[in-house]
Amino acid sequence: MAFLYPVNFSKRDSLMGIVMAAAVVLTGCGGKITLEREVHPIPEDADRSVSAPGKPGSVFVQSSPGAPNTFNKLVAEDAPSSEAIALLMDGLTRYDPVREEVVPGLARSWEISEDQKTFIFHLRRGVLWSDGHPFTAGDVVFTFQAIYDERYPNRGAYDLSVDGEPFEVEKIDEHTVRITTPEVFAPFLLYMSREILPRHKLIDAFEDGSLLRQWSIGTAQRTPREIIGTGPYRLRSFRVGERAVFEANPHYWRADEAGQRLPYTDFLVMTFVSDQNSAMARFANGETDVEAITPDNIIWVERTAERHDFTIHDRGPSTGTSFIWFNQHPGSDANGKPYVEPHKLAWFTDQRFRQAISHGIDRDGIIEGVLFNRGTPLWGPESPANTRWFNPDVKQYPLDLARSRELLREAGFDWDARGRLHDKEGNRVTFSLITNHENPIRTAMSMVFRENMQELGINVQVQFLDFGTVVTKIQSSFDYEAGMLGFTGGIDPSGGMSIYHSRGRLHQWHPSQEQPATEWEARIDELMLRQLKTLDFEERFAAWAEVQQIMSEQVPFIYLVTPNAYAGLKNRWNNVEIPTMGSVVWNIDEIWAP
Amino acid sequence: MKENLFIQAARRPLGLAAMITLGVLYLVAIFAPFIAPYQTQTQQLQKTYHPPTGLTWQDGRLQVKVYEQVDPTVYEPIPGGAAPIRFFARGFEYKILGLIPWDRHLFLVEAPERIYLLGSDSTGRDVFSRLLYGAQISLSIGLIGITITMTFGFLIGSLAGYFGGWVDNAAMRLVELLMAIPGLYLLLALRSAFAAHVPSDQMYLLIVIILAFIGWAATARIIRGMSLSLRQRQFVLAAEVLGQSTWKILTRHILPNTFSYLIVAATLSIPAYILGEAALSFLGLGIQEPSASWGLMLSQAQDSKVFMMNLWWLLIPGAAIFVTVIAYNVLGDVLRDIVDPKMKVQSR
Amino acid sequence: MKTYILKRFIALVPMLLGITFMVFVLMSLTPDDFLTPIRAQPDVDERYIERLEQEFGLDRGPIAQYLLWLGNIFPLHYDGEAERWWQRIGFQVNFGYSWTYRVEVTELLAQRIPATVLLSLSALAFAWCVAIPLGVLAAIYKDSIFDRLTSILAYAALSIPEFFLALIAVFFAAQTGWFPVGGFTSLDHEFMSFPARAADIAYHLILPAFVLGVGGIASLMRIMRSHFLDYLRAEFVTAARAKGVPEGWVMFRHVFRNAINPLISMLGFAFSGLLSGALLVENVMNYPGLGQLVFQAFLRQDQFVVMGAVVMSSVMLIIGNLLADILLAKADPRIRLH
Repeated sequence: MAFLYPVNFSKRDSLMGIVMAAAVVLTGCGGKITLEREVHPIPEDADRSVSAPGKPGSVFVQSSPGAPNTFNKLVAEDAPSSEAIALLMDGLTRYDPVREEVVPGLARSWEISEDQKTFIFHLRRGVLWSDGHPFTAGDVVFTFQAIYDERYPNRGAYDLSVDGEPFEVEKIDEHTVRITTPEVFAPFLLYMSREILPRHKLIDAFEDGSLLRQWSIGTAQRTPREIIGTGPYRLRSFRVGERAVFEANPHYWRADEAGQRLPYTDFLVMTFVSDQNSAMARFANGETDVEAITPDNIIWVERTAERHDFTIHDRGPSTGTSFIWFNQHPGSDANGKPYVEPHKLAWFTDQRFRQAISHGIDRDGIIEGVLFNRGTPLWGPESPANTRWFNPDVKQYPLDLARSRELLREAGFDWDARGRLHDKEGNRVTFSLITNHENPIRTAMSMVFRENMQELGINVQVQFLDFGTVVTKIQSSFDYEAGMLGFTGGIDPSGGMSIYHSRGRLHQWHPSQEQPATEWEARIDELMLRQLKTLDFEERFAAWAEVQQIMSEQVPFIYLVTPNAYAGLKNRWNNVEIPTMGSVVWNIDEIWAP
Repeated sequence: MKENLFIQAARRPLGLAAMITLGVLYLVAIFAPFIAPYQTQTQQLQKTYHPPTGLTWQDGRLQVKVYEQVDPTVYEPIPGGAAPIRFFARGFEYKILGLIPWDRHLFLVEAPERIYLLGSDSTGRDVFSRLLYGAQISLSIGLIGITITMTFGFLIGSLAGYFGGWVDNAAMRLVELLMAIPGLYLLLALRSAFAAHVPSDQMYLLIVIILAFIGWAATARIIRGMSLSLRQRQFVLAAEVLGQSTWKILTRHILPNTFSYLIVAATLSIPAYILGEAALSFLGLGIQEPSASWGLMLSQAQDSKVFMMNLWWLLIPGAAIFVTVIAYNVLGDVLRDIVDPKMKVQSR
Repeated sequence: MKTYILKRFIALVPMLLGITFMVFVLMSLTPDDFLTPIRAQPDVDERYIERLEQEFGLDRGPIAQYLLWLGNIFPLHYDGEAERWWQRIGFQVNFGYSWTYRVEVTELLAQRIPATVLLSLSALAFAWCVAIPLGVLAAIYKDSIFDRLTSILAYAALSIPEFFLALIAVFFAAQTGWFPVGGFTSLDHEFMSFPARAADIAYHLILPAFVLGVGGIASLMRIMRSHFLDYLRAEFVTAARAKGVPEGWVMFRHVFRNAINPLISMLGFAFSGLLSGALLVENVMNYPGLGQLVFQAFLRQDQFVVMGAVVMSSVMLIIGNLLADILLAKADPRIRLH
């Protein structure tokens, strides 16, 4: 429903009355539009939800900034596509963000071999695809076959391999699969939550080479039922640029303790909006049931909380990081011109200089001014949001100009009569900082940073560029001095290989090194490999905690702040458990409204 | 001839009104640093989305109301609270006309109070000051752009018409090519191609050049037609026989005879430049922060907060564009009426 | 006439080659490409990026890329088999695949065209229905208050930037709640009865069509007024009046019919703007048409989609101009096309 304020029907002519009345029914009490559910027996191996049994019916509405580009897992690169596919399909395992652990999915259980390289998955019996065809080990084997096929480049082929070597997948019987990894691979079980594809539906396309063109938004628009999965929903309709409507999958393999098949909701509507801002506006109008609210928007969203009966939940720090770094690349371009002027390179590679800068940043000021007091300072690569992997014992750099000056003096810098900072050779300390202009919070932070640096007698010129240009500069042309960017955090440290390993593309201060340039980088390389090559959590944590410590000690990234995350959710929903990170309604199949 | 045209226009009420409006706008833009109480980039993070400050007459002088922050973006006037406005007070330093350094401003209030005649934006910057500085960019882009366009349009068009043959052919094919690409697409393509090679503070120049590049084709086509017929006329033929150089013929004979057309066409196409810059900046692809331009300011107004919280003052830059464009259109029409009411000039 | 049209169509080919080449070169001048967002993600393997570069031909020079694209779109396909060769020649324009969607560009464009055509046609209809009567009335009551008022309004309508008007429209809709704030259909569209669906679409169309149509009203109205005035003074009109033909009939038969003729040729120009005129409005008002798609494709550098859209709108523009010429020639027998 696209009306911002409730309107008095009687004043309007009847035609519009019809339209609006219908709209109210859908979003409001959900009384009239219901799904005539097909009844199918619940599979013998069905997963029984432990949450309190609820009542089926009702419609869940959410907005998605940007629309899915595809419903084909092999093609999906963007968040909206992955989100939509996750509603339709399941993997062998699932990740429970509240308990922060991997739980059974399409596999009822699994065994791990002695050498930690071989996994035997026991698939649930009696599970059917949403078109009624049985799900078997053949589907699992087919999925991996498709992922690894040379004809179909997709990121799964690289995620699900170690040093370019794929996993071995064998079918033992109709309901047992054995998967062997070439080396011990830490995030293996997490990665097994990747969606399984139906062999019977896609085998022809796989053979004739058209697999990547299957299940496009064209398919979704013309024949939504052709996109089948084992997930809680199936696609009912898809309108380009507008919305996707999902309905409960009558063959879903989860049920509650009372024997009611999940999901409880009849329909899930995903409306496509242009950006996060319009998504929040829709939520504030009571048009959607859930929305992530950014700190600067809470005030006005909150105003309609009573009218539309929702609550804004504080989820604590978010997983996103933001940081400033200096270009420490010692190389030169094709004309022999060094990427960074040698005297500046000397500053940037000096740990004391970087620490001094970090001490000179008023993170609390950023939080107050830019994030409306709703943020948390960051000192290392892991946000406190990731409670499982966060190391609180990292070096911190609170605002301390005295300490900052002391460090600069130690490093041979000094101030002139007008308070301007110079290095030993008398060069005035100035540098330019590049960042992308699309992110308003980042542009505001860069302005605060510039003012902070003025206190230290350092002149910073901030350059706002297109995101694409920034990426090109930091990954291939290297012609910049300092940059400011951020990463959205992941669940598992293995996702950070390309950032922290010195050979990584996103090892931004000095990417793609042949050999680690410094000892501490060598140590990080070693630790990153160690955490990747063991399944033991304690060992992995120790390694990753040390990486966090070294990063905070050496400050190649000067971490800034992370905004706190807030989730708006209508009060009528039950069984909601909001995790500290990830989707608010990760258990969408279990939630229900009276 | 040129003076005549504008004096004639000034005799008509509509023409006079348009010229006065434009005059005021350009004066304001030139003296922006003096009139503006604050710089474009001065933030006040404690006063984001401040509504326009009300004025009161208190203690025998003009004062601004003082507001209290009820919520980070909600303000209410404190009853009885006021801060006096000081005229010709000292503020930030600037240079008059870019030459004489000065620090006096038309009006200011004592810090920490701030005067927001047209409210503040998402980082507490003064919309009024930004509007004035934005005028410098938005208004000059039209003038500079049209000068480049008319120069190129005239040169290419008159040479093509004068020489004919393959020169004409080549020039006209290029013109047709440019005119066959939808303008906005070409604008987007050119912008994304060159933006990365231009520092963000020189984006202004890039945009002028791009707009001029797209604009010259239409002018060239018409000038070509005119010079095609002019070259058959007695005085041009006579000049040729006398052995005058091509340059002289162009400037002495063809230019004066197409000049009034150029003036009218220029006046009527300036809005296209102003709107082009505004559209690009509005899409986030034009002038970059912290510079101000009207289009860039409007792009902030796309935020749903603006609609939800009724932050109407953020829409004012649109009104400024509107007034400027209307003044140019009226003036152009009046000039056209004077020169030749049947003349066909594409506007927009 | 026929040879004239044929000539214009033949001239289209080098023109399109020039346009596409220019756009291609411009796109390849940008430092980033379609894969940039993927490169910026930490958990993507380098080998995958290289593989995609090969797949999309991004590892080749711009000229090679352009030739590949050209070879791809060439409308005549023939697989070389001699047997029943006449059945093997296919005529099909193939703009390639969208890298983002893995859908044929033609299909992608086709998905969006209905909404955009609907919007453009409604805006056009709105503009004509308002402009023609206003222009006629302004001419009949020349120099009256009504005439002055409409001419001021015309200036205003001509001078207001489309995107600003769109912003104001959204603001208005948000403040009053009388209209939907953007979009094409309501949330529960598919659960509605057929008439309710039509009403729903129409209701969502009102504001964008108004915003898009306003600019057209002004110029149409001014042209209508001046033509109407010309014919009011024409000799044959005076003659008809002298013969005692009723005034209303004179106005309709002699003045209006003649005055509207040249306006018909404007339809040709309107045709050219049918698909490309609404980019800004669609983006501000969240209207799911071509403008949205093309703008996104530009930002993402989804090369083939951009090229497809450029070719299509250029063809529309050129055909629109041709159409305008032909209509003008039909309406005015003094004009001959050659």
